[in-house]
Amino acid sequence: MKVLSRNARLLAGVLLLFLGGCASTPQTNMMLAAPHPSLPRHVELTEVPYFVQDSYQCGPASLAMALNAASIKVTPDALKPEVYLPDRHGSLQVEMLGATRRHGAIAYQLAPELNDVLTEVASGTPVVVLQNLALSWYPIWHYAVVIGYDLDSADMILRSGPERRQILPMRTFENTWARSNYWAMVTLQPGIIPKTADATSYVSAVTALEKVSSPAAMQSSYSAALKRWPDNLAAQIGVGNTAYRMYHLPQAEAAYRRATQDHPDSAAAFNNLAQTLADQGRYKEALIAAHQAVDIGGSLSQAAQETLTEIESKMRQ
Amino acid sequence: MNPQNSPFMRWVSRMVIVCMMVMGMPVQNASASIVETDQVNFHEMAMQDRAKINSFLDRQDVIAQMQKEGITLAQAQARISALTDEEAHTISGKLDQLPAGGDVIGVVFAVFIILLITDIFGLTKVFPFTRSIRK
Repeated sequence: MKVLSRNARLLAGVLLLFLGGCASTPQTNMMLAAPHPSLPRHVELTEVPYFVQDSYQCGPASLAMALNAASIKVTPDALKPEVYLPDRHGSLQVEMLGATRRHGAIAYQLAPELNDVLTEVASGTPVVVLQNLALSWYPIWHYAVVIGYDLDSADMILRSGPERRQILPMRTFENTWARSNYWAMVTLQPGIIPKTADATSYVSAVTALEKVSSPAAMQSSYSAALKRWPDNLAAQIGVGNTAYRMYHLPQAEAAYRRATQDHPDSAAAFNNLAQTLADQGRYKEALIAAHQAVDIGGSLSQAAQETLTEIESKMRQ
Repeated sequence: MNPQNSPFMRWVSRMVIVCMMVMGMPVQNASASIVETDQVNFHEMAMQDRAKINSFLDRQDVIAQMQKEGITLAQAQARISALTDEEAHTISGKLDQLPAGGDVIGVVFAVFIILLITDIFGLTKVFPFTRSIRK
């Protein structure tokens, strides 16, 4: 009997090795061994709403939960024509980001770190994750929402498919999540920055709203970015460009001017400053800035040259 | 003959498609002289015009693919406009291969057994009734 059970265990082990490769969970190991001191041991965002999903609708359902948690009222049914691909019976990752933007929220993709997921949850933001619930060679792709964790019991807490409160061992979670290359996103009101965000990624996430959102909403996000990363060039230009788009020329001018001071090598800052000054009829100042933009040149030299030519022709009129 | 299939109607619908595609093209800003924020964040705009054309082609390609996946033209256009150039490029030509989260629970029997075992060992989580024996 003992021999049999040992053989069975050996067989199971070999089978497992064959099936899952050497499945290891380095992120969970590290998290349990030495969690970041600022992380609470236990978090659960009980107020995150739950939507029962229809078949294949985990994308719209998960996104609806995340958006509603960010105070954006939307139902899975309303999201379905925005993310779901009927013939694929599923939703693509980039469309989860895109649909978020269409509702005026910032879609921020987290770094592929378990620590970042837990940090966001601990700061009150539910995290949408993509899991492959099955195996790499037999994928079952699934979106779920991480709403909590428990470091003592090594569990994750999710809103997942038919389960309002799924308790998933952290290692199992990592196994399923690793197969999507640790894909995770948060949805946020404009002006709110994820705790784990880095400057470039966050500013890109705001810029991505350009085609679908109002300049006012974007400006609050660029301004928030500037509070956190005061000398970020893209955020400075972003504040200027959104002001320019709303015809707040003095405000745009101030933002560009600050960018030229912090980044004297930025042709974009000088070019946009020149254009804004010219629009206010201040051609002499505009000319100086335009010349500086042309002198810096680089990849924007053509745009800078065009601005300069335009200002010169206006001065001749 | 059904008037909807007449050569004239077909010509009209083609014209409408062309018009709608043109309408979906990236619109130039009111003032052409402002450098866009995304050009500041990514310093690789040496060939801006080519990038714009590539982005347009990527987007048209994705719209066509989305229509094949059962999305209407209007929906596809609205959806593609919410994506960045980079995102449109990632999915262009690959719409049918990329992960699409939707949890299909229609598993053949052999795979069922395998997944049951992997579920129990905490490698997978396909079935709601399984509990991992490992922590």
